[in-house]
Amino acid sequence: MMTRVLTLLAALLVFAMPAAAQTGGPLRIEITEGVIEPLPFANPDFVAENAAAAELARQIARVVSEDLTGTGLFREIPASAFISQITSFNSPVQFSDWRAINAQALISGAVSVGGDGSVSVKFRLYDVFAGQELGDGLQFNGTQAGWRRIAHKVADAVYSRITGEGGYFDSRVVYVAEAGTKDDRRKRLAIMDYDGANVQYLTDSNAIVLAPRFSPNGDRILYTSYESGFPRIYVMDVASVGRRALPTLEGDMSFAPRFAPDGNTVVYSLTTGGNTDIYRMDITSGAATRLTSTPAIETAPSFSPDGSRIVFESDRSGSQQLYIMGANGGEPQRISFGQGRYGTPVWSPRGDLIAFTKQSKGRFHIGVMRTDGSEERLLTASFLDEGPTWSPNGRVIMFTRETQGATGSASLYSVDISGRNLKQIRTEGGASDPAWSPLQR
Amino acid sequence: MRIGYYISGAGHIGLILLVLFGGMFNTPPQSFEVTEVSVISGAEFDAMMQGVQTPDVTTDVAMPAPDLPAEQAPPVESQPDPTPPPPAPQVTEAPETDPVPQQPDPLPQQTEAEVSDEAPVIAPPPQEEVVLSPTISDRPVPRPSERVAPEPVAPPEPDTQVSDAVTEEVVPDEAAEVVREETEGGAPEEATTRIVTEAMEEPSAAPTTSVRPRTRPARPEPVAETPPADPAPEAAPEQQAQEQPEAQPDQTADAVNDALRQALEGGAASPAAGGQSGPPMTSGERDALRVAVQQCWNVGSLSSEALRTTVVVAVSMTEDGKPQSESLRMLGFEGGTEAAARQAFESARRAIIRCGANGFSLPRDKYDQWREIEMTFNPENMRIR
Amino acid sequence: MTLFTRGIILASVLALAACTNPDRFDSAGAGGAGGAGGAGGIGAPGSASDPRSPLYFQQTIGDRVLFQVDQSSITPEYQTVLDGQAQWLMTNTDYVAIIEGHADEQGTREYNLALGARRANAVQEYLVSRGVAPNRLRVISYGKERPIELCSDEACYSQNRRAVTVISAGLSS
Repeated sequence: MMTRVLTLLAALLVFAMPAAAQTGGPLRIEITEGVIEPLPFANPDFVAENAAAAELARQIARVVSEDLTGTGLFREIPASAFISQITSFNSPVQFSDWRAINAQALISGAVSVGGDGSVSVKFRLYDVFAGQELGDGLQFNGTQAGWRRIAHKVADAVYSRITGEGGYFDSRVVYVAEAGTKDDRRKRLAIMDYDGANVQYLTDSNAIVLAPRFSPNGDRILYTSYESGFPRIYVMDVASVGRRALPTLEGDMSFAPRFAPDGNTVVYSLTTGGNTDIYRMDITSGAATRLTSTPAIETAPSFSPDGSRIVFESDRSGSQQLYIMGANGGEPQRISFGQGRYGTPVWSPRGDLIAFTKQSKGRFHIGVMRTDGSEERLLTASFLDEGPTWSPNGRVIMFTRETQGATGSASLYSVDISGRNLKQIRTEGGASDPAWSPLQR
Repeated sequence: MRIGYYISGAGHIGLILLVLFGGMFNTPPQSFEVTEVSVISGAEFDAMMQGVQTPDVTTDVAMPAPDLPAEQAPPVESQPDPTPPPPAPQVTEAPETDPVPQQPDPLPQQTEAEVSDEAPVIAPPPQEEVVLSPTISDRPVPRPSERVAPEPVAPPEPDTQVSDAVTEEVVPDEAAEVVREETEGGAPEEATTRIVTEAMEEPSAAPTTSVRPRTRPARPEPVAETPPADPAPEAAPEQQAQEQPEAQPDQTADAVNDALRQALEGGAASPAAGGQSGPPMTSGERDALRVAVQQCWNVGSLSSEALRTTVVVAVSMTEDGKPQSESLRMLGFEGGTEAAARQAFESARRAIIRCGANGFSLPRDKYDQWREIEMTFNPENMRIR
Repeated sequence: MTLFTRGIILASVLALAACTNPDRFDSAGAGGAGGAGGAGGIGAPGSASDPRSPLYFQQTIGDRVLFQVDQSSITPEYQTVLDGQAQWLMTNTDYVAIIEGHADEQGTREYNLALGARRANAVQEYLVSRGVAPNRLRVISYGKERPIELCSDEACYSQNRRAVTVISAGLSS
């Protein structure tokens, strides 16, 4: 490696010198600028290997394409431009035909449906210009009812092979489904696929529910509900929808819960006597420990992925700002210093960034910064954006956007951490407080 | 009159007492329940939750390498959730299970997925390749899309004459002569020099209608307060030269001019077939090559780790300036893991092959000097900032 | 006789209307505006003109305190209101109160919950300082979940930044 570096340096020196100085050897150039544009790919309908698979073969290919184009990193070449078709999964690929339409990646897949309703999907990914496969062909087996998950898994594999990043399509989002006007808003917990499909409701709308959060493996949800009359934290089992309240003293309010990476510890805010501080609780034993003790508002705690630190917001300086403290409390370090107010910090699953809500000059932003507070970047701007949540691979942020005025309503949006590809997630009605699940198994 | 009030009052009080002591209001504010929550069992919710039970489908993944049997990649098994017996839902006002579009009714019986341990089905297809002479008439017009490039490019104009180097970027085809005519006057996709996020836009101005500033703001920073900076670069080439990307203020103008000049010269120059070493490569000639490759080097889909990885790629060239794809190889990498380097190499490889498909504009009389090329792809400037 | 029966029925209805209203804040956590009020008959006991009625408390004394942006301190104007509330509570010892804190929509959800709690607590402490027994007062915050005014202007925000004292009959004290 060292010699490599030296060679690089030498190459740079040579490059900087007059052209005449170069003699012999390969021509060396350095490319330091590229383009950032969606990668064009072709994804013909998957091959139906039996008659029963015809419709699924088309649908699965569509979901794969929607997943990929939805990232903003890929652009699908319409089938009308195709020169050749894929009619058999194992026949040779005419790369020149796909090069001619500038398809840089080509997905070929096949679907077969068994008599028992089982589905088998296989696919290959080609680098068209290199004329070779990217990775090996994969096969997924499942049931017909779950075909969307199979499609998401195919798309995750394609995404991961091209970008080098983990996928996030086979994931779900828990959120608060909203109905009614602002002064009579009815809220209930709902869960859906990351792309808005397969919505299911987890609670009724008799009580206000707020800010659900997944456990690290996605099997449980923490949320705040007023069903006792007062805001309290509940933990719900996703599969059975059974729930229980975390122990709270009478007269106290508890909210803003979040799991630690161990899946058994919860950090949350507890308000007693008008003062809000951060606590942690072992949810098995119910034993709680107080982590902050100032007269300020301390809330919205979020663990680092390694569980060693907690980022939270506090107005101890006179306005909402972000701080980091150890997992057991201690003196926190302030990390936000820009103009405006900072709230709802969330540590990214990669550990390198913290997403937050910023209020500045009457507008709300979703932004990210490094964990030392440097390199702050604002990704969005609107009347009211808040509550970021990270995709499992730390590449995308979903959040709540509320429109203003008497008819204002909330909906979910997502944005790439580069700030590109801002888009609304389709939901049936109003929606707020999204929380992204980990990648499903 | 008064009597009526007394009666009414007595009635009130009587009723209040009756109601209060009658236990109709079972939650006097003084004695709030603490922590008592009825846990609704999974069985009760089962009917409404049929579709939610996580894996209706377990997706077990056999990972067969085409050549290697499956033991290299054991199938990932996921156990389906047990399906509780569905009782009649006793929940008053149970949340309705909304039908999901396109979702077949999940059948409880199907929640058990077949695990197939079958050996790899997938054999690699023959790699033979038929070279067609493509008659590309319905080649898709590059649609204007969000694109960030080191050199801003204007939307296509009918009479835009861009250098060959640029034209080739959109015609990555073997049959260069055939297709080139169709793309004359074409131009690459519209591009800007930086990512403009929503937060950088003026709150009131719609992106499509924002007025293009005539002069470049002093220093665009990724914060909301920054005014929009040249979202759509001008069409005129002179303007392009003035609106340089920050990253290389001086080089770009030279590079563009050199590229243009080089392209013009290259078109006029008589190809000295089989030329020997010849005079040394000029910096303009090298810049033309660099610019040509840059325009195909798409880092947009690279992971952030791959964007920290510099790779050195070697390629052998044919005499007509085309890269020999089989000769492409990674000589080394710096800054990232091997996996990240592979992604970075793949994007570099695509760039060289795509933009070299019609032959790079290189002086034939100096073929000996560019027979072998080592390109260092350093994405440092392209990282998300 | 039929007139008498009717009177009883009417009285029952009114009494129910007056009493169920506070209760819904306990059980459902809904409303929270406290302004919906009951269907009080004019001049009848339990109506706004009856100094011993919750309606009187709500409408004549004033059941709410408004706050400045991001503040939870009680201005002199509302200290007068709270003095009246304290006096009423001291007189009508059968009642207890829940103080609901609210915030306008210009803030993040969690912070606004905490801010609403601060406001409700400020009212509670004031009432206690005026002699109301602490065990007759409870606080709750709704954050920005229950605005009463819908527009996205300061005119509405100023009405939503409030603490509302909701009276209900309590017998345990």
